[in-house]
Amino acid sequence: MLFAKPLGDLISQLEKLPGIGPKSAQRLAFYLVRQPEDDVRMLSESLVRAKQALRFCERCQNMSELALCSICSDAKRDQTTICVVAEPRDVAAVERINEYHGTYHVLHGLMSPMDGIGPENLKVRELLARLGGEMAEVIVATNPTIEGDATALYLAKLLKPTGVKVTRLAYGMPVGGELDYADSATLHSALEYRREL
Amino acid sequence: MSLQRLWLSNYRNFEGQEWLPSTGVNLVVGANAQGKTNLLEAVALLSSGRILRSVKDDSAAIRLGEDAAEVLGEIRGPGTELKVVLRRGQRRRAFLNSVGMAKTSDLLGRLPTVVFSNSDLAIVREDAGERRRFLDLELSQMYPVYLRHLSMYKRALEQRNALLKQVNHQRVEDASFEIWEAQLGEHGKAMREYRHRFCGELLVKASRIHDELGSEVLDLAYEEADFGDLTEALASGRAREIHRGTTQVGPHRDDLSISVNGKLARNYGSQGQQRTAALSLKLATIELIQDTLGEPPVILLDDVLSELDMHRREHLLSFVLHTQTQTILTCTEANQAGSEVQKDATIFSVRAGNVEPA
Ligand SMILES: [Zn+2]
Repeated sequence: MLFAKPLGDLISQLEKLPGIGPKSAQRLAFYLVRQPEDDVRMLSESLVRAKQALRFCERCQNMSELALCSICSDAKRDQTTICVVAEPRDVAAVERINEYHGTYHVLHGLMSPMDGIGPENLKVRELLARLGGEMAEVIVATNPTIEGDATALYLAKLLKPTGVKVTRLAYGMPVGGELDYADSATLHSALEYRREL
Repeated sequence: MSLQRLWLSNYRNFEGQEWLPSTGVNLVVGANAQGKTNLLEAVALLSSGRILRSVKDDSAAIRLGEDAAEVLGEIRGPGTELKVVLRRGQRRRAFLNSVGMAKTSDLLGRLPTVVFSNSDLAIVREDAGERRRFLDLELSQMYPVYLRHLSMYKRALEQRNALLKQVNHQRVEDASFEIWEAQLGEHGKAMREYRHRFCGELLVKASRIHDELGSEVLDLAYEEADFGDLTEALASGRAREIHRGTTQVGPHRDDLSISVNGKLARNYGSQGQQRTAALSLKLATIELIQDTLGEPPVILLDDVLSELDMHRREHLLSFVLHTQTQTILTCTEANQAGSEVQKDATIFSVRAGNVEPA
């Protein structure tokens, strides 16, 4: 055997994490077993605590400590606008600009038959359930990839009968970006969504 | 646009090699397996992000015993530096002025090239896939937007095919199909517009060149695999395609028919007619790129002279000299290139992974 069993077990657990290959898993494992026991305990406890304490917000499906997340329960946020994103990290990205005052809806993925992901695997039903009442606008903020486009199209078709206004984020040149360095995809969409001066 | 300086590090049989080609004709002479094709291939790699000779993975292109290879080129004109890094077991990466690019295909169009090799005959003789590959490569280096449509189309196609296979073991709602078909319809329609226009423009030039080469009539026609609106054709073909698990309509099934004197060159052409047709297409592509981009591409000739008869060889060489663009021509003996080219060319010799002015 290459490693003592407890070490081997730890390595194979770490290897299951996204973006961690066998080499990184070994490096992390060696690092962890050399740390003081208290530090290691804190790490393992915070893992379990995070898992136990977090759930999906029952409205927007973002990660939350309470039944309703801090955004959904904030009276100052515009509850008639929903920004639909693929992942919780996208909520964080939009929040960072401090300009958007509506709510979110996290799909937890994009449609991708190759990966076995259809609408039933996404939080689509939960989005539909939010549309009764006085919803003003749904902003679809999925990435401009083929999967992001397909998911946006699916939502647009699905939401059309409800009469709510559905918009899609514009994609184009990064501000401060140089034309010469933009990849063709970015330039293409910048050209497609150009505006009159 | 031309390649000013090439730097190879652990690429194939080159350990560390700097090469300063001239802006005119470069005659690269060497015996077989000394590295002359590797040199030309490195230039093509900077141009397209792809390796000419198909390899299972990049390991085959990395020098024995090394972990990584690097190909770097300085481009005169815009003053840019292109770099491709190959690493065993990893994804190939491309850089523009040291900034990483999202995909290696984003290199396309920065150093346009037209490659002549002995596999060109396949464009005329083999199945439609070869002709689509030719169209896709040339269009991608002229039009970045075409490349974008192409890669979106390919991905949407994989997704729809995956969905077709799912139907056999689970219920799939029509709306799931419709979204991929809408994307295939949109990107596929755009691809076909580009291909039709390209083939039309290519025909004008290629038929003239073909006539000069052998007084025969060359005809090209872009043929679509289906009729009418693509999104609708996809929807109506769905039931039939579920059994096969693959999409049967769309630009990935189209063909470019090439005929000589009214007969399909693929089935009825002699080897000589097929060779001339392939040569006409490539030479016409050079003119078309020059017209579209405002300057000619770099011409790469990989050991093709020995395969051509004297008439075709002279035509090709005089075309190259006349175009006055940077050309890299490999051969085993300098005299294969003829006296006129030898007079104008800068001659290099390649031996055991070393390039030197001859
Ligand atoms: Zn919430």
